[in-house]
Amino acid sequence: MRWTRRRVQTVTTWVIVVVWVMFYAVALANADPLPPLETAVRQLVVPPLLWVVAARLVLRHWWSGPGSRMSAMDLPGRLLTVAVAALPERRREWGRAMLAELAEVQGRSARWWFALSSVGAMLWLPPAGGWPVLALAAGVVVVSVAVAGPAVGAAVPGLRVFAVSFTGLVGAMVVLAVARLRRPRPRLPVPAPTVLVTSGVAASIAVTVIFLRREPAAAQYLPPAAAVYLAAVLAGCLWVAVAAPRWLGTSRLASHLGAAAAVVFAAWFWLANRTDGTEPPLPLVLLLALVLVSAPVAVFFVPAFAAGRAGQSFRSGLQAAVWTVTAMIPLTYAIWLPEGLRRHAIDGRLLIDGEVVAPVGANLADALAFCLGIFPVLGLTLAVIGAGLGARTTHRAVPNDPS
Amino acid sequence: MTRSRRPSAQTTAVVLALAEKPTAWRYGYELCQQLGLKPGSLYPILVRLADRGLLETTWDTDVPAGRPPRHLYRLTGSGRALATELAAATAATATRRSGPKGSPNERWQGA
Repeated sequence: MRWTRRRVQTVTTWVIVVVWVMFYAVALANADPLPPLETAVRQLVVPPLLWVVAARLVLRHWWSGPGSRMSAMDLPGRLLTVAVAALPERRREWGRAMLAELAEVQGRSARWWFALSSVGAMLWLPPAGGWPVLALAAGVVVVSVAVAGPAVGAAVPGLRVFAVSFTGLVGAMVVLAVARLRRPRPRLPVPAPTVLVTSGVAASIAVTVIFLRREPAAAQYLPPAAAVYLAAVLAGCLWVAVAAPRWLGTSRLASHLGAAAAVVFAAWFWLANRTDGTEPPLPLVLLLALVLVSAPVAVFFVPAFAAGRAGQSFRSGLQAAVWTVTAMIPLTYAIWLPEGLRRHAIDGRLLIDGEVVAPVGANLADALAFCLGIFPVLGLTLAVIGAGLGARTTHRAVPNDPS
Repeated sequence: MTRSRRPSAQTTAVVLALAEKPTAWRYGYELCQQLGLKPGSLYPILVRLADRGLLETTWDTDVPAGRPPRHLYRLTGSGRALATELAAATAATATRRSGPKGSPNERWQGA
């Protein structure tokens, strides 16, 4: 079956709709009380609509580049193309060489044989620093993981799984960097956003430690799966910031716009929590109402739109989108836990649902769900749509632009 | 870097195959077929030879329309010197196997 752009878009649309309907049906079945009909319909329709629009924009961009080339290939060709794309730049010439030779190989089995063997070769291409350096780095990582678990577990028992996972993931990134780079060192593609995200990740870990030291019973809200998820997301943020893929670091404007937007969102989040329950003067109420309602949408949509328009490409907007989300996650999480402690000390309520009297530890579960789940998913969706519209606006403004 | 370890049999075969026509550019798939090597074995050898300055590479842009440019390989001066050394050692080994045993301590440059 030939995968045309229209067919891929159709399949993607149906997958999104079906998965969301199933998910929402399960959520409703377990909801107590059920939401009002109007709210339920809105929640059922709006998110998948936004996701479908965003997914179609991404597919359209992808199809204008590698997607159309890959659709014309057979499976061995696609497999080898994907493997070549994962190679470090200095080895990519060899990957292209294997791809070019595959074009000369005739016969289905011979092509599979050539492609699989070439993919195997790519896994074992000599690392830049040599195998001993790689083995040394891997050894250091294994020792670090073995030490981190008991050491952190003794000080903060609820963080043992997180410590092992985070150390292991960051260690794996270091080993990968040693294998890929000629001189293993962070590239720091954009210093200011990199420092912002790195600081955010450090602050997130610090506030989690403080939270669990003050409220040891909160460890029940960080089960192993959640701890691994937290570690994976924070390590992922660190990876984007320190060793971003090439395509993420090509536009300095996009990364700076994204980081600035994340700071604005974090400030909005802090402000929204601090103003709750207070009685500011009327002009300030009106201003806050305007800011608090529009800011969450604007901080994701606007930077991606502006970057897409300024960079005259969807990719530039996408870079801003990824940087916004990458910086937003640790910043909001680092704000949530201390604010949750403060709010709970005042009236025993949770940060996100001021009507519910609940254990303070539940703030940890809420922070994970919102800062590492709902905010990034919805934010990225809005940002992708902004990037797509920004790039489109550019094309309309410059009709003779061949790109 | 000078290494005292003898190149593997596969590396030796690749170097000697390239040395058959030292000035000719060769394709990777062609070498695979000639030597009966998998690409997964051949390409890491070619990468190591190129990293050590024993192999030079270029792109063949004279290909049919719609086909990507192909990578071409041939030995450098150092590579040809290594090939000469390996050929002599291979011959010497064959002689030793058929005659009295000896253990000359040869040093292999690069491969």
